[in-house]
Amino acid sequence: MMIEILIAVALVGALVTFVAPNRIAGKLAFAISLVPAVLSLWMFTAFDGSGNALLDGTLAFESQYEWLQLGEYSISWFVGLDGISIPLVVLTTILVSLAIMSSWTPIDDRESQFYGLVLFIEANLIGVFSALDFFLWFIFWEAVLIPMYLLIGIWGGPRRKYAAIKFFVYTNVASLVMFGAFIALVFGLGDSVTSFALPEIATAMLNGGPDGFLGLEGTTLTSVVFVAMFLGFAVKVPVVPFHTWLPDAHVEAPTPASVLLAGVLLKMGTYALLRFNFTMFPGQVETYAVPIAAIAVISVIYGAMLALAQTDLKRIVAYSSVSSMGYVILGLIAYTQFGVGGATFQMVSHGFISGLMFMAVGVIYNATHTRLVTDMSGMADRMPVAVGILIAGAFGYMGLPLMSGFFGEFTIFFGAFGAEQLPYSQVFTSLAMFGIVIVAGYLLFALQRTVFGPYELETDYEVGRAPLHDVVPMFVLLGIIILLGVAPDLIFEMITDAVDPILNGGEL
Amino acid sequence: MTVAVEYYVLLSMGLFCIGLFGVLTRRNALMFLMSAELMLNAANINLIAFAFYHGNLTGQVFALFTMALAAAEVAVGLGIILVLYRNFRDVDVTVPTTMRW
Amino acid sequence: MAGTGTFSYAPAIALFPLVAFVVALVFGKYMPKKGAIAGIFATAGSLLLSLVMFAAVAGGEVYHETLYEWTSGDITSQVGAEEIEFTFGILLDPLSTLMLVIVSLVALLVHVFSLGYMNAEGETGLPRYYAELGLFTFSMLAFVFADNLLMAFMFFELVGLCSYLLIGFWFRTRSAPSAAKKAFLVTRFGDYFFLIGVVAIAATFGTVAFAGDDSFVTAAETAINDGTQLFGFDARTWVTITGLLVLGGVIGKSAQFPLHTWLPDAMEGPTTVSALIHAATMVAAGVYLVARMFGYYALSPTALAIIAFVGGFTALFAATMGVVKDDVKQVLAYSTISQYGYMMLGLGVGGYVAGVFHLMNHAFFKALLFLGAGAVIILMHHEQDMWKMGGLKDKAPVTYYTFLAGALALAGIIPFSGFWSKDEILYDALIVGLEEPVILAAYAMGLVAVFFTGFYTFRMVFLTFHGEPRSEAAEDPHPVGWAVKVPLITLGILATVVGLANLAPIAKLLSIDITFLEFWLDGEYGAIEGLTYHEYHETVPFEEGYISSETVTMLIGAGVSLGLALAGAFTAHTLYNVPEPSRHMTKLGGAYTVLRSNYYQDEFQVWLAEGVTQPIARAADRFDRTVIDGTVNGVSSISLFGSSRVKRIQTGIVTNYAALLVAGFIGLLLVLGLYGGWF
Repeated sequence: MMIEILIAVALVGALVTFVAPNRIAGKLAFAISLVPAVLSLWMFTAFDGSGNALLDGTLAFESQYEWLQLGEYSISWFVGLDGISIPLVVLTTILVSLAIMSSWTPIDDRESQFYGLVLFIEANLIGVFSALDFFLWFIFWEAVLIPMYLLIGIWGGPRRKYAAIKFFVYTNVASLVMFGAFIALVFGLGDSVTSFALPEIATAMLNGGPDGFLGLEGTTLTSVVFVAMFLGFAVKVPVVPFHTWLPDAHVEAPTPASVLLAGVLLKMGTYALLRFNFTMFPGQVETYAVPIAAIAVISVIYGAMLALAQTDLKRIVAYSSVSSMGYVILGLIAYTQFGVGGATFQMVSHGFISGLMFMAVGVIYNATHTRLVTDMSGMADRMPVAVGILIAGAFGYMGLPLMSGFFGEFTIFFGAFGAEQLPYSQVFTSLAMFGIVIVAGYLLFALQRTVFGPYELETDYEVGRAPLHDVVPMFVLLGIIILLGVAPDLIFEMITDAVDPILNGGEL
Repeated sequence: MTVAVEYYVLLSMGLFCIGLFGVLTRRNALMFLMSAELMLNAANINLIAFAFYHGNLTGQVFALFTMALAAAEVAVGLGIILVLYRNFRDVDVTVPTTMRW
Repeated sequence: MAGTGTFSYAPAIALFPLVAFVVALVFGKYMPKKGAIAGIFATAGSLLLSLVMFAAVAGGEVYHETLYEWTSGDITSQVGAEEIEFTFGILLDPLSTLMLVIVSLVALLVHVFSLGYMNAEGETGLPRYYAELGLFTFSMLAFVFADNLLMAFMFFELVGLCSYLLIGFWFRTRSAPSAAKKAFLVTRFGDYFFLIGVVAIAATFGTVAFAGDDSFVTAAETAINDGTQLFGFDARTWVTITGLLVLGGVIGKSAQFPLHTWLPDAMEGPTTVSALIHAATMVAAGVYLVARMFGYYALSPTALAIIAFVGGFTALFAATMGVVKDDVKQVLAYSTISQYGYMMLGLGVGGYVAGVFHLMNHAFFKALLFLGAGAVIILMHHEQDMWKMGGLKDKAPVTYYTFLAGALALAGIIPFSGFWSKDEILYDALIVGLEEPVILAAYAMGLVAVFFTGFYTFRMVFLTFHGEPRSEAAEDPHPVGWAVKVPLITLGILATVVGLANLAPIAKLLSIDITFLEFWLDGEYGAIEGLTYHEYHETVPFEEGYISSETVTMLIGAGVSLGLALAGAFTAHTLYNVPEPSRHMTKLGGAYTVLRSNYYQDEFQVWLAEGVTQPIARAADRFDRTVIDGTVNGVSSISLFGSSRVKRIQTGIVTNYAALLVAGFIGLLLVLGLYGGWF
């Protein structure tokens, strides 16, 4: 019941906030969002699941109700958490709370609708990470897009309409590809499945796979579906060359939307890759290991190079997300405990770190009304605390040890270096690792130009320190990042526990 | 002695073609409406003729429905034409094209 | 292993400064001296504990304990290990306790000196300064007692962070942040290879421990003996490759060629920070790492030869650049690069004791010289150009004599500490070099560098302290307080006498056992098995040769190096120890320009960053915006364009719709008719 309560609180909260007066909407939404945050933390401590949700694992907070009967297939409300999904749920609830607090300053128009939409996103995100029935999952998956589209399209920057439509259409078309492929797969599996429950489909896949559908042989169908689903999720991740919607969306989105977009929405892509492609298609993962690893390396290096060429702070962080998500793909394709576990850890870690970075950039933007590196200098002089956190976040991004980013990257590199099923894994890993040099390059360049040097900024008002409610969320995030960096086993153990069955082909 | 069914069909075909010709060539909305009535009645003739030929009443009942439909259509159509005239000072159907895209 | 008693306090050595970091950061504003007190107490505590540990190790105990498991998991390593644990642990053996004492002592003295250098000058941001110093000390101490390679890497990186923060301390200038960025980026480039090395070693051997039976050194030795193939390479080749990868980090942090360029720029930081960076923390970290995992390098003659050659080359290369600098701190910066080159040379030829000996001596005399330079800068009202100094000898005797002691040690003049260690390095290099031509070349470069060292050191001393004052500030120096003098005197004494720790030449001549450091590192008093000089020496695969006999070789080597150092000092004396010295170096013409420009290494690296990387980045950006995003936008444009054409069918004229309807109906009839065979 816990998951239903989480989703219900967020949904009802969204409705309540929608009708609440603008004046109190921010505080009200924050108070409401604390409920799922605290509850999910409690669930985290009370987590008693083991194994992988799709592969005969013991689920925590499981519940299943028959919903619809669609021909031979039944659709059910089926939710539950395993070691992979619970850290992501906690990431979502915490980040939403903090994002709401961080939007008190910048959002000054139609507040109740804004916060209502944020809570609506939260409900759907929790749904995405906990749903275990394909249809249910897909409903949540698509429903995330709508509020995000509105957040960008209404509260965004000057080119918000372009960015919002690009975001929506691009990811939606990708979803269509993925959806079609998956439905074909289910029909191809024929009598061996009777519902859209993911565990059942995963079992059927591992026990022989589809017989064939639409005139395609079973193995061909599997490959086609694998590729189509990979492409569908790759847009969401995003992976080069499907990444161009991301910088536009980030630049135009208001700060809290950016926080959620980078912090959680991108993880939907990699989470789905892990749940579908890397769990159900072990054979194809091996077949396509080299191209996927190549894509990962290209994402890392190319994304970082793009970040190097930017002058807009948000664009820099946006492109660096492309780069960071490349590491995740590399970890997944390594298909070792440290690789896949590290990739999952990196999803969580990057969620917190990129959230922190976008908040810090947002705080500076609130004060300066510019994000261009060339427009400001010496901000550390005026906003020491906010800048201090920005620097800490930047070093977190660079993978400074004892912060969570390092653990994620190190485990990915370590897992990928010795990966047996990935040919040339040492070469791929070494190439991808060069990303840690480039990331240091562009972030340090940006820091040098914006926060250091003599104070220079053309404003007709005095730039002062950031208000407390802007700084508190960043401190919380920084605390979490350091905590996870020092004690990664807090979540890494449960992640590896859930990852192991994938690597063993469903056997515990 | 009854008239063979072919003649009814020919009649209704002729009627329909007249109506169609009207729709395709006239620009006056009233003429349009009348042409549409002609085509409807062509259909009615067919319905009744075949009902008589087959010896059951379903077709005739349908013809009644069509008449009711035609009456309603005329009412709505005349309304539209009135509005058209009010807005454009004309009942030429080629003039009001603003609502197409 | 002894895990009880004294050693259970070992973590506190590093934790004290960490606490000082937090205290200074949070409460520094409200504290007297802005957090300095916290730092002084913390480093004093660390020093005390380090001495206790030192004594305990001297008493024959060692400590090797895993304290905290970071994470663990399953792997498939090349040598068959199936699980790996990444932990934090403490390894206290002769090497690490010695280094702990050095680091905490220098850190303490730097803290004290800062009272006179930073507080007295009324700097702003002092809590930040002391917090960062605390964090720096913490990182370095934790790096020193790390018991595994990953932990070492982690604190190695934190050391880099702290140096970034401290070099950029005066962030309101343009140059300091730029220098800080450069320091971090260049060392990061080295750390990239280091990280690959760590990952490779962990993936190969399934362990990252430095010591014990389950260390990667032991595993590598076993693999070599068994002839195992590692990642498709012969085991020894793979050890060489991974060793060299780790060496990348060392070259970055210890500022060896070609990653040395960050270090002279790092002089943008406060002088106290330079002292800490050069003597005991950041730069020392690299060489210390080589000493720490010396057993691993000892397995690979190729890696050792490369270390030695890079070291010898850097020693000479940096010394030549030091000759033409005008800024007192710049001279010291290049001397640091050069001296660390010597240490690399010593370690590279298997002279483990010699390398560590020089590391220790250098820590003291370089800290002394930098703090001395700091004192000079106070005296000179923040003027650093040596041509504006002169005549400070009589006005600041304490500074002068302590500085002179440091200079004599740096130049390697008998009997100051630097002579003994440098001589030992050169001797070790010579005896190996007589059999290995590559090492002989490295030795020759090191030997030539001795001359330059003597020259630039005394050029600096004479220009700064001798002759007539050449500016108003030099005529009327600002007085320095006790906080400046006490550290200088302490270090001055140490720089003079610490050479007594290992008087190897005298020991050999007189056949008496006074090579205490060698005994220390050899585990005479207590050591962890496998980490002794003795065992390293057996593993090192180099042959040794002598000129007629051991003693004669030693005497020739010592004589030549001392002679060269004296010759350098004497040249400086003739040229610069005059009342009105002139800029003789400009007479070198083209060579002068090249040296002044640091062999265009900076230009080259800036070109790499701005002339190569940035255009590539911009090209990638253009490609991204035009081709990739162009394709995306193109798809939408094509859809829009297509629909804008198709929608024209909807004319809005009912007649047309009707016509289309009819035409469509007729068309359909025709098609059906044709296929249905009606005609």
